[in-house]
Amino acid sequence: MKKLIAAALAALALPLFAAKPVTIKGSDTMVIMNARLAEAFMAKNPGTFIQVTGGGSGVGIAALINGTTDIAAASRPIKTSETDKLKQRFATTGYAFPIARDGLSVYLHASNPVKELTLAQIRSIYTGEVTNWKDVGGKDAPIVLYSRENSSGTYTYFKDNVLLGRDYSPRAQTLQGTAAVVNAVSKDPNGIGYGGAAYAKGIKDAAVKKDDRTPGVLPSLETVRNGSYPISRYLYLYTRTKPAKEMKTFLDWAIGPEGQEIVTKVGYFPVK
Amino acid sequence: MKLKTVLILAALLLAAPMFAQEEPPPPEPTPEELQGKIDAATETLTETKNIVDLLSKLKITGYIQAQYVNDEASQNELGGATGTRNRDQFSIRRGRVKFTYQFSPTSKFVIQPDITTSGVVLKDGYVEFTEPWTTWHHTLTAGQFNWPFGFEIMYSSSQREVPERSRVFRTLFPGERDRGVMLSGVGLGEHFTYRVAVVNGTGTARTDDLNKRKDLVGRVGYSFGALDVGASAYRGSDLIATSTRAAGIEFDKERQGIDVQWITPVPGLGLRGEYITGKQAPASGTTRTQSFDVRGWYFYAIQNIGTKHQFVVRVDEYDPDTNTDNNAVRTINPTYIFHWDANSKVMASYELIRNQVSDPDDNVFTLRYQYSF
Repeated sequence: MKKLIAAALAALALPLFAAKPVTIKGSDTMVIMNARLAEAFMAKNPGTFIQVTGGGSGVGIAALINGTTDIAAASRPIKTSETDKLKQRFATTGYAFPIARDGLSVYLHASNPVKELTLAQIRSIYTGEVTNWKDVGGKDAPIVLYSRENSSGTYTYFKDNVLLGRDYSPRAQTLQGTAAVVNAVSKDPNGIGYGGAAYAKGIKDAAVKKDDRTPGVLPSLETVRNGSYPISRYLYLYTRTKPAKEMKTFLDWAIGPEGQEIVTKVGYFPVK
Repeated sequence: MKLKTVLILAALLLAAPMFAQEEPPPPEPTPEELQGKIDAATETLTETKNIVDLLSKLKITGYIQAQYVNDEASQNELGGATGTRNRDQFSIRRGRVKFTYQFSPTSKFVIQPDITTSGVVLKDGYVEFTEPWTTWHHTLTAGQFNWPFGFEIMYSSSQREVPERSRVFRTLFPGERDRGVMLSGVGLGEHFTYRVAVVNGTGTARTDDLNKRKDLVGRVGYSFGALDVGASAYRGSDLIATSTRAAGIEFDKERQGIDVQWITPVPGLGLRGEYITGKQAPASGTTRTQSFDVRGWYFYAIQNIGTKHQFVVRVDEYDPDTNTDNNAVRTINPTYIFHWDANSKVMASYELIRNQVSDPDDNVFTLRYQYSF
């Protein structure tokens, strides 16, 4: 009987001593990479638990600000207004860890005769100035735009750096997650989308030209690394405080050779 | 016998469909019919998307603060010239709902009523236009908005770490808002901010402006990362009835101040301070011909422990007439905040209020629960 009571008490007390999971929330672009990193780290460090969820970069940073995640994953730099909120709520400016580099692909249907686009053409397409493929060297067919929801870091990055801050065309169809954009373009011969290079399966990437005079460049390890691919960005993990304990071990490992190998396997590019 | 009959009838009824003549399968839809169905579904989807897109441009946020206050100065008294003097009570301090409609990045509509047991009051109501041509994103705001002065006025009551603003702001900027137009912008790598406004100068307590002259108020700020600094100024006048002139005379209304917010190297410790001097008009019916010289300041120390706990001390002082001795009021305000989750927090705060010459029984304890969304 005594043993039974002791066992029951131990079972009840177990959750009190169980390791608290490290939570990573944010960018949908990064969710597969973060999940792979977490799986590999947990396999290497039994007893640690890392929980990965998506929702978008803005959602992740909001969770960092309201204290509901330990790490925010963001496919864009944190905004000044977000840093101000961190300062006010937690008396910190936050800590940024670039974890990978990503070439932002412009997706086209495999049958689309268009092979390359200038940044100006992509801008014209997504702002709605150009609405037919024939105006950018393709067939006479309407262009169907696929975009991301506005809480997405990819949406923000593309808007700031490709559209130069201009508004997306109201005709752009908003989809939840890069995988949904890839799926839509793969089924739509007139579709165009954008997202992480790691997702570009079942479709083709457009070669992107900085302007009319430069050659088109496809996203690859080499072109993203040497900066010749015009649409590339860092992917970040943000923390509120200086990382300690499991969080520090995880981040050190993710930025180290083993973590960067996983980053490369997933299809992104190492930061070093 | 009866039971048998009922069972047989039931069995026949259940079995009937099995023996019914099978209907021929429906004919395969033609490609035209399928295309029509797809077109109809696409049209419905487009209409739904248009509605959802329009709705997503409307953002609704808000918070409610339910509280209990215990005030040492409270007395049981019915009616009388000053009305009830009991302040020990449960109340809704603030009940804000903010509606923001942003059709495009260049324009915005904001309206924010405060709904409490005292009634409904308009707090914010303005339209904004942001120019898209420069990286400064100069923004023109017109309507009713916060006075662009200092830090504490523009810091939301839902975020503030003590129940009320410091005495200097409650006295010199009652209601924290006015009506007018404001130009603002952000530049120099988003380190520099400016806001300058032309306002009535009467605040929001009145619906009209008593004098023809308009007031000018503004702030410039610079962020060094962990350290933010700002300088503010206000120039205007108040029309006040005096003992010799009922139509009123213009009294100078001036304020100038500096504010500092510092994220210290000590983990989770933030410090804030603000110092203001100025001229404040006397009350109506005065024998004076000039404004009072006034001065005030506050200092906050905020220590975060983990993500749930905040310990705060604010000290503030307000001197309503610097040319008269021993009339400043100082308040020490220790506060503890427990952040229950992302939406709710509980605050326990004690205000120790001291005059320079005495310490009357007027300390205040506030226990507040806030839910925001």
